[in-house]
Amino acid sequence: MFDNPSHATRRARQGILREWRLFALSIFSLTVAFVCLGAALLVMTNLRAIETRWTHAGRVSVFLKESATDAEIEKTKVALEATAGVSHVTYVTSEAARDEYAKNEGNANDPLLALPKEAFSPTLEVDVDPNLDDKGIEDMEAKLGQLQAVESVETYRTWTNRLARLVRGGVAASGLLSLVVFASVLAVVGSTIRLALQRRKTEIEVLKLVGATDAYIKRPFLLEGSAQGAAGATGAVLLLGVLFLLVRGRMDGELTTLLGVEPTFLPWFAVVGMVVTGALLGTIAASLGLRKLVAV
Amino acid sequence: MAYDDDFDGSGDRREGGAFRPMLRQGKRFSQEAAHRPILVFEDVFKSYRAGRPVLRGANLVIERGEFAFVTGPSGAGKSTLLRMLYRAENADEGRILFMGKDIARLKDDSIPFLRRNIGVVFQQFKLVENWSVFENVAVTLEVLRLPEKLVRTRVGEALERVGLSGRGEEPARVLSGGEQQRVAIARAIVGEPALILADEPTGNLDPQLAIDILGLFEEIHEQGTTVLFATHDRTLLEQRPHRIIVLDEGKITDVRRGLVTEDGNFLSAPLH
Ligand SMILES: Nc1ncnc2c1ncn2[C@@H]1O[C@H](COP(=O)(O)OP(=O)(O)O)[C@@H](O)[C@H]1O
Ligand SMILES: [Mg+2]
Repeated sequence: MFDNPSHATRRARQGILREWRLFALSIFSLTVAFVCLGAALLVMTNLRAIETRWTHAGRVSVFLKESATDAEIEKTKVALEATAGVSHVTYVTSEAARDEYAKNEGNANDPLLALPKEAFSPTLEVDVDPNLDDKGIEDMEAKLGQLQAVESVETYRTWTNRLARLVRGGVAASGLLSLVVFASVLAVVGSTIRLALQRRKTEIEVLKLVGATDAYIKRPFLLEGSAQGAAGATGAVLLLGVLFLLVRGRMDGELTTLLGVEPTFLPWFAVVGMVVTGALLGTIAASLGLRKLVAV
Repeated sequence: MAYDDDFDGSGDRREGGAFRPMLRQGKRFSQEAAHRPILVFEDVFKSYRAGRPVLRGANLVIERGEFAFVTGPSGAGKSTLLRMLYRAENADEGRILFMGKDIARLKDDSIPFLRRNIGVVFQQFKLVENWSVFENVAVTLEVLRLPEKLVRTRVGEALERVGLSGRGEEPARVLSGGEQQRVAIARAIVGEPALILADEPTGNLDPQLAIDILGLFEEIHEQGTTVLFATHDRTLLEQRPHRIIVLDEGKITDVRRGLVTEDGNFLSAPLH
């Protein structure tokens, strides 16, 4: 082979091993920066899952009075089915509600399951056309409220709207945060590379003296920069993974019931994206730091 | 001109350029090239600060295979002259022809390829202290992307020539000054350059070591390499009957053979 990339890899490895403290410090700083970004992404991922779950659920829950008779319930169901925008109505008995909860929960020791079946209200779960506007939902809510058998109506609308606003704010904040994180990655890797450059001044002088091209001299530094960025992002993903497992282990049941979705970790493409972004930013930072090589 | 593109084109390829084959026995040998001076300075001007020129119209011809001392008082411009040859500095005016090519007009991209034809040795050795002796010498060939096996053989040969056989694995920093300078010389010669530049290579060594190192350069010269040896050490100049090039007041004066000193003020009044 004419081109021998192993020189660059070897020199990069030697450089990192020799200056490992410098690189460890840099990677640690990058990990902290990427943890901020990753945490924001993680929160956003889950908020979005909740929002999607509730927005596209197109669902209205009609909570029935315990005193409601089967005939009243049947009448309500038929009336609902005839309403514009309603596509399907399911009657969920108290037992079914508890079983459903138990199935989602999967934890036999949950104290809620020890409660009598009456603790879970019977409901009519109404599938609503997802395109039905807020006005239509409000009308439906008002009409339903007047029925004998109905205890209360949950349209989830205010809750979804609030969530949507929260998600929008979160996206903007994450965007801003990622700019700050990217800037800090550039600053950290750039200054690490400049310091490494300073410490390896003789090495660079010698390389220039024996006729190494600038590209040949720069390559190991670029590799070191991208390795730092990738390592920082990987460290952040691992740290977040551990934190995620810890948090989920403690709050799983309550969270799931409350939110209606399982807490999820970052999707694989976000993880890969973070590592690739780290490597890319590291390379860019290194090449910026290398603009002026030592003159010989 | 036959060599015009050699610094640019031959790039990574050792044998591709027209320089090396001419110097290595048994390779393609150009008669025309052999008769051409390896180095010509034509009215070269150089100053770092306005009004204080270091070189003021310097002229010089070095033939292929010569050994020449470059001398002159401290600050006369010896280092500057050598640095212009490997383009660490550039001339303000005039031409510097190295193997027929004007290196004062060389594009920055071509400078590395120029340097692959020149070996340089310094007073301060300039070794990478935490590299091994082997690595310090091998770097010259690695830049050329030679296969590892060939690098190993040729570094071994170079270390043998400077008397450091079998010392390759030692870290450069544990070697004595004289040994470090031998490593630096091995690094300069391992690529078999056409020209060796030595800038006060004995300045940091005691007198006996200095003479040994001078002897080493003479051996290299005997193998056919052109050597420019800058020094202000008169004991060395007196030691050997080589050509002496004197730099003073921005001009180059030539003392062809040896140096007869009477009053110790020979530099400002060169002999003819
Ligand atoms: N990089 C530089 N910047 C400014 N002046 C320099 C520089 N290098 C050398 N000089 C000046 O140029 C003159 C010649 O220096 P130099 O070539 O090092 O002389 P020598 O090697 O003969 O002692 C000196 O006056 C020195 O101060
Ligand atoms: Mg000098």
